[in-house]
Amino acid sequence: MRVLVYWLIVGIPLLFGVSMTLINAAQLFH
Amino acid sequence: MEGFFARERTVAPPGYNRWLVPPAALSIHLCIGQAYAFSVFNGPLTKVIGISAPAPDDWTLPALGWIFSIAIVFLGLSAAFGGRWVESGGPRRAMFLSACCFGGGFLVAALGVHTHMLWLVYLGYGVIGGIGLGIGYISPVSTLIKWFPDRPGMATGLAIMGFGGGAMIGSPLSVWLMHAFAGPSSVGVAETFVVMGLLYFAMMMFGVLTVRVPAEGWRPAGYVPPAQPKKLVTSANVHVDTAIRTPQFWLLWLVLCLNVTAGIGVLGQASVMSQEMFPGVITPTAAAGFVGLLSLFNMAGRFLWSSTSDFIGRKPTYAIYFALGVVLYSLVPWTGQIGSVALFVAFYAVILSMYGGGFATIPAYLRDMFGTMHVGAIHGRLLTAWSAAGILGPVLVNYIRQYQVDRGVPPSAAYSETMYIMAGLLVLGFICNALVRPVDARHHHREQPEPAPALAE
Repeated sequence: MRVLVYWLIVGIPLLFGVSMTLINAAQLFH
Repeated sequence: MEGFFARERTVAPPGYNRWLVPPAALSIHLCIGQAYAFSVFNGPLTKVIGISAPAPDDWTLPALGWIFSIAIVFLGLSAAFGGRWVESGGPRRAMFLSACCFGGGFLVAALGVHTHMLWLVYLGYGVIGGIGLGIGYISPVSTLIKWFPDRPGMATGLAIMGFGGGAMIGSPLSVWLMHAFAGPSSVGVAETFVVMGLLYFAMMMFGVLTVRVPAEGWRPAGYVPPAQPKKLVTSANVHVDTAIRTPQFWLLWLVLCLNVTAGIGVLGQASVMSQEMFPGVITPTAAAGFVGLLSLFNMAGRFLWSSTSDFIGRKPTYAIYFALGVVLYSLVPWTGQIGSVALFVAFYAVILSMYGGGFATIPAYLRDMFGTMHVGAIHGRLLTAWSAAGILGPVLVNYIRQYQVDRGVPPSAAYSETMYIMAGLLVLGFICNALVRPVDARHHHREQPEPAPALAE
């Protein structure tokens, strides 16, 4: 449980960054 | 308070789950990786007085460019000179200093923007923040290597992947905050710096509070060091001051420098190059998407390549970076000639994954060569190769390009020469990597840590 919480603390910001980058990258294929 | 930061206070109790440690390292690298996204502030910082448009007294772009350059110089200096301090005091003390410097640097820079004193921004983000970058970058490396003796490449790759991901978080966060704070009398940069300084400090404190080092002689459950170690993996240790006098250190310095120089060289011109090689096909908006895609591959490559190196070995991994790099760099101009955007993007994506992989695999390569005793400090000194490449890469590319354009070569063709020269650098890198041999036993440190019985994880 503790492992999951620790990974979520760093994983959520990283997921936010990756999502924003993917949205940006999608423009390449438009 | 002194005791809280002492290495002894961070020693993990028996049974501690080692998978709790990488998030501590990631929390530091995800924050300091913001440095790569600093350019989003450049535009608004040229309008601090004029707000809607630059006023005569506003800062110029060349003057603002120095903020990032100073930060990178201080990253290299603090990593090189602070490495031994980091090793002796343990990761918690180093991470705390990094959090104070990086978060505090933002606050000093905010004051500089608020009072419109550029030297204060240089001091804040450049000098103080740069020290936070350098100390933060190396602080978790040796700790992770000690926790994951069976997978050192994967462990350090995880942390260094965070540095690549930091820009992806920092860029949209900065834009969003500036948008929220901007008004008729402010571009919102000073307020954004304050919020980011506090946010990053809090996030980095998560790492400070949760980082743990393994007890002396600890081994993962079930892990037995190979009785016959691989030829290029030492079980001895080399002192940091001795390491820099070995040819292996300087060969690896060149390996990193050449890999990064070639990567930075093409990374800096990726957007313009894509548009000029495919005029009318890749628009400026699509080019921005292309750069975003490259940053994803840069980040993913850090984890994937360094994890792969645990299985195939460090030297073969770098041999792939250089050999495959030579082929791909040489073929990029050809993709323009046949008009294949898909191949162009694919080649560039693999190139950038190997650029990131080069950063992430080097700590494990150093561990293989010099042992774990001073690997963080040795890594810190090796990072001067990054600083050198940061100057060499863009200078080389810009100089070659200008020389070609002055000779009347069309801009799209001028890129071909650049790519071939970058491929030449990779050939040099391949040779340096091929020359790497185990460190001579006379350089080994005499006090060897005694092996302890394995403890359950």
